[in-house]
Amino acid sequence: MSASSASVAALQGALAAEHAAVYGYGVVGAMLAGSEQADAHADWTAHQVARDTLEAMLTKLGATPVAASPAYALPFAVTSAKTATRLAATLEEGVTRAYLGLVAVSNPTLRAFAAKAMQASANRALAWSGSTVAFPGMPA
Amino acid sequence: MLAASPTTLPLFLALSGCKGPAVLSAPPTVSAQTQTLLHAVTAEQNLIWIYNKAIAAYSGLAPTLAPLRAEHEAHLAQLRARVIEPPGKQVPATVTAKPALGPTGAAALAQLRAAEQAAVSTLMTRLDGASPSLAQLYASIAASEATHVSVLAARIGAR
Repeated sequence: MSASSASVAALQGALAAEHAAVYGYGVVGAMLAGSEQADAHADWTAHQVARDTLEAMLTKLGATPVAASPAYALPFAVTSAKTATRLAATLEEGVTRAYLGLVAVSNPTLRAFAAKAMQASANRALAWSGSTVAFPGMPA
Repeated sequence: MLAASPTTLPLFLALSGCKGPAVLSAPPTVSAQTQTLLHAVTAEQNLIWIYNKAIAAYSGLAPTLAPLRAEHEAHLAQLRARVIEPPGKQVPATVTAKPALGPTGAAALAQLRAAEQAAVSTLMTRLDGASPSLAQLYASIAASEATHVSVLAARIGAR
């Protein structure tokens, strides 16, 4: 796989994760109220911005950005504020994993971009879960 | 029998006209990537040292600080495990920075937060030129330490 195609594949992976997060935060927000809902809305917006950025990066590389799925299977039933916050943390962990894949490409600009994105998603995961992990994005 | 000493060996070499013991080769060198990795090891050791000092001095902060220190210890273990050259090389266990601890708990928290933020910035500079797997480790540790900045900032704000 060439460096360019590896970059495109990793960017597509990150974009797919952002699509899933945008969808998932719609579910999260519907189950929350007050300041938690406001937080979910802010994070939903952040993922929309990231999605648009990734789409622009892919287009610039001559690739067709992967489209969002019409719906996504949730990893567990979201029936309460508690499960909604757990879903938010899970979404952020998925996004962090996807950006970790992008860190592996050789392009230094993409590496730095992905590493910064990991810091943002790890902090959002912390905000939702209330706990830190030693190796965000890495397999447990 | 005369044992070679630091003073007798050069004299012997001079008398024999020998330029040096050919069996000795140059000290093993390490790649730039390994040098960077060794710097990362030292940086984690320095962070653990200051966490140890803070926990010892301000025991009330231990519930906040001990989990973060444990994550630094995990970072250190992973970084040390990646040092594979030259074979047999001892990974240094030396702490190179021992700053004075802040005079209050709040000052110590601010000091730790600044140290964590600096560590994140330094790890970002280590990405370029690293192997893919090492870059991922640096990025993951940077993300972890970025969350430490948030935890410490929240604790400072709650005081």
